[in-house]
Amino acid sequence: MSKPVPLSKLDEKEFIVPANSACQGCAGSIVARIVSKVIGEDMVRQEVACCGPAFGNITQPVFYGEVFEGAGAMMTGFARAFNRLGRDDIRVTGIIGDGGTTDIGFQGLSASAERNEDMLWVCYDNEAYMNTGGQRSSATTKFAATTTTPVGEFSRGKKERKKPLPILVGVHRVPYMATASVAYPEDFIGKLQYAKPVKGFRFIQVSAPCPTGWNYDPRYSVKVAKEMVLSGLWPLYEVVEGALRITYKPKELKPVKDVLRSQGRFRHITDEEVDEIQGEVDEFWGRLQEKDGGPLF
Amino acid sequence: MAKFEVMVGNKAVAYAAKLARVKYVSAFPITPQTTIVQYLADMIANGELDADYVNMEGELSCQSSAMTAATTVRSFTATSGPGLLYMHHPMHMTTWARLPLVMAVVHRSTKGMQPDQMDTMSQRDTGWLMIECQNSQELLDTGIMSFKIAEDERVRLPTIFMGDGYILSYTSEPVELPAQEEVDAFLPPYKRPYPMFPEEAKEAMALMSQMWNPFVDPQNVWKQQQEAAMNAKTVIREVNAEFEKWFGRSYGNGLVEEYKCEGVEAVLVAMGTIASTAKTAIDQLQRDGRKVGLVAIKSFKPFPDDDFQRIGADVKAMGVIDRNVSTGTLGGITFTELRHSLYDLDERPMTLNFHAGMRGKEVRVEDIKRMAEKTLKAARGEKVTPLVEWA
Amino acid sequence: MEIRFHGRGGQGAVTGVRILATALFYDGKFTQGIPMYGTERRGAPVVSFLRVGDERINERDLVHEPDMVVVLDPLLGRTVPITEGLKKGGLVLINHPKGGKETGLGGKFKVATVDATSIALEVIGRPITNTAILGAFAKVTGMVTLEAIEKAISEQWSGRVADMNVRAVRKAYEMVSEPVDVSGVKPVDVVKPVPGDRDVSSWRLFKPEMDKGKCIGCRRCYILCPEVAISMVDNKADINYRYCKGCGICVEECPVKAIEFVQETI
Ligand SMILES: Cc1ncc(C[n+]2csc(CCOP(=O)(O)OP(=O)(O)O)c2C)c(N)n1
Ligand code: SF4
Ligand code: SF4
Repeated sequence: MSKPVPLSKLDEKEFIVPANSACQGCAGSIVARIVSKVIGEDMVRQEVACCGPAFGNITQPVFYGEVFEGAGAMMTGFARAFNRLGRDDIRVTGIIGDGGTTDIGFQGLSASAERNEDMLWVCYDNEAYMNTGGQRSSATTKFAATTTTPVGEFSRGKKERKKPLPILVGVHRVPYMATASVAYPEDFIGKLQYAKPVKGFRFIQVSAPCPTGWNYDPRYSVKVAKEMVLSGLWPLYEVVEGALRITYKPKELKPVKDVLRSQGRFRHITDEEVDEIQGEVDEFWGRLQEKDGGPLF
Repeated sequence: MAKFEVMVGNKAVAYAAKLARVKYVSAFPITPQTTIVQYLADMIANGELDADYVNMEGELSCQSSAMTAATTVRSFTATSGPGLLYMHHPMHMTTWARLPLVMAVVHRSTKGMQPDQMDTMSQRDTGWLMIECQNSQELLDTGIMSFKIAEDERVRLPTIFMGDGYILSYTSEPVELPAQEEVDAFLPPYKRPYPMFPEEAKEAMALMSQMWNPFVDPQNVWKQQQEAAMNAKTVIREVNAEFEKWFGRSYGNGLVEEYKCEGVEAVLVAMGTIASTAKTAIDQLQRDGRKVGLVAIKSFKPFPDDDFQRIGADVKAMGVIDRNVSTGTLGGITFTELRHSLYDLDERPMTLNFHAGMRGKEVRVEDIKRMAEKTLKAARGEKVTPLVEWA
Repeated sequence: MEIRFHGRGGQGAVTGVRILATALFYDGKFTQGIPMYGTERRGAPVVSFLRVGDERINERDLVHEPDMVVVLDPLLGRTVPITEGLKKGGLVLINHPKGGKETGLGGKFKVATVDATSIALEVIGRPITNTAILGAFAKVTGMVTLEAIEKAISEQWSGRVADMNVRAVRKAYEMVSEPVDVSGVKPVDVVKPVPGDRDVSSWRLFKPEMDKGKCIGCRRCYILCPEVAISMVDNKADINYRYCKGCGICVEECPVKAIEFVQETI
């Protein structure tokens, strides 16, 4: 079980070169920085095609594999090879976008989880293919306007609901699975610290809003992430060896309406569409609470 | 009525698919192809195009689904570089099933973001026809022609029409958009090329057995594919000529475009945007009295070997510019294929090769002029080294 | 005629060039608008080119010796050599609040200025200068008519957005200064970033200013700054402005409002 880490407990050591080539206010950058800080000395980073290389300004070794579909397989190769030479001190860590995780990389994700490969897979979830200019992914929230799900006379944005990836990984019965958010760094760091020494497959999906793709002022990146947690759009929980635990419980969920409306990608949605998302959020939150403290399935 | 619009190359590609009235589009973004599928998404959202548009989870699926859709409706997909590499397996399947799918490839290197031809060259032997373009107008026109070529009974091979990423995909220039009615008249409705309905079970079985039957000559599949590709040479010429009749534009003879080649001693041979820039170089050189012309390869597959035999018999030297390399063989890929075409000539011209523009390295007019001067030198019988040069 | 455009990712330089290419086409010219794409993201310096001719332009390399340079961002010249390769006697049109001799540019060329940022803020409400600059372009070059630009704009946008942009174009047409010769002016040095240098200060439109007296040392801004531009000195947050892109996250997230967001000045 993870425990939030107060920021005062963090040591000063950084594994990052300040300033990167990502957009102003990119929350993905915050994820990459926190991961490299917490995993530290022992980290080897795997990247695939995504915005990740724009915030790949770290001092640990990075393997940028243009093989977008291959995150799970490439990390498997590293983990096995390091292990073969007795280097199981090395933490093979992937910082992978939602596309490289839930879409093109899903086969490798599921396969690595099933084989329980020794890797830490951190998915920074900006809910679209941002590196190529904001096309939908299966992690995009329903109704969001993206460049491949535009809004027009014959289209209301994305048609399908967000893929419930954390649950899907959870049912693989991996040693560790968690959700996190850049707005709750204490919780996120606690989860990373818990996951770090665990052997086998560990997965954390971190909500990381993207001002460029979601169309809001960059200064609100963390605020948007926070509102998503407070409204239940992105609940924080973890699954340790099959047992689910909600790690942050807002006393009462805020309505999703405001956080949706604050983003340009949802500017077009109607009250009925908001209600539809609200309904799904309420239902999911209800189920999570039922499962809280017990087995995921 | 035709109308003009200043647009980027990728929009011209999207228009080609729209004007061909494709009914199935599988989409997966990759720079520099991405805006093609974005334009198509917009056209569908605005009701300008009625098609099933599927955002796939990767290119393997893009190619596979477009392939099966092409059994039944006119289908389209588009990609670049690594995306094309990821399609490789089903691409072989598409030619095996002889499905006339059309795909746009916006060249991107297989090692990096910038353009070169290694993406399509890596698919050279899949059996797909490959037609290269020099500007946005040509992309639009070639796109429309590609459907007609691919779907011709004598061919029935999937076809790639392609152009350089960045240099064409994002560059805006005036493009004439043909009227929908004229395109409809030029390109007849799709004929279902592959029986897959339950009531066609017999025909479907027969096809399957052709593909898999252990008792027929296993090489047949390849032999027929080769014959079809050779037929394509005739079909491409015809379609190019017919396009000229309808729309007033054509591209050389459809296979090669000879630019200012009358009475020259030497020619440069190039493809795509390098050929386009080479036209400026040739203009300047001829103004200075140099006897050098340009042959732009339009159809890479089928390779226009008859044309090269004809041209090769008339000139003393050919300088081939390759935005690609076949590692382990001396020279670029069009260089090797061109030399192969010339082998049967009684008197062969001198051939030189330049690797240029790989991974997006800029090819300037001056660079091409220098290559032309070297080729002219060879034409004069002077010794030139090296034979193959990294320009 | 070859023109180079300098701007920043997100300022709409690419759209601006396409609108101009369209307008010039309506006025009977053949055009080629080439954006230079890399992996630049919002805020990073970008370049585009425009070729204008009488027939289809075959040349497809980049423009190395432009006849004219158009600059969308007044601060770009500090880090980007915007007049590099400019032909002798060429012209610079720059979005700048001051006169042609006070832009920091000097050499054997002329400079015209227009305060496109103020015009855009006033007319459009956002500092998007890509259309306003076109009005100034029409005036100083005489190559393209306002009508053609307006027609091209009305194809790009419709309704209110088109109207606002048209107004910005007209206003800039009125307000642009006469080109002045700057051969006597000593240019301000361009500090070209060396590879690996991560100075991103030129990305900023606003600057976070820290009131150390108010800082309670909670470290929230320190852990949330995407650039790692904030360090803790004596348990107070300290901003290194070389690395700060001015995103404003620290301003929003400080629980005691110790950080203020102030507009950068030229
Ligand atoms: C095989 C292949 N297909 C497509 C691409 C193009 N591509 C590069 S990054 C990317 C999107 C990445 O999306 P995601 O994983 O969500 O990360 P983000 O960009 O949002 O950070 C795509 C489609 C590629 N590099 N390789
Ligand atoms: S597009 Fe979004 S995720 Fe990518 S660098 Fe910019 S802000 Fe970050
Ligand atoms: S404005 Fe943004 S980049 Fe600058 S110090 Fe604050 S959080 Fe960091």
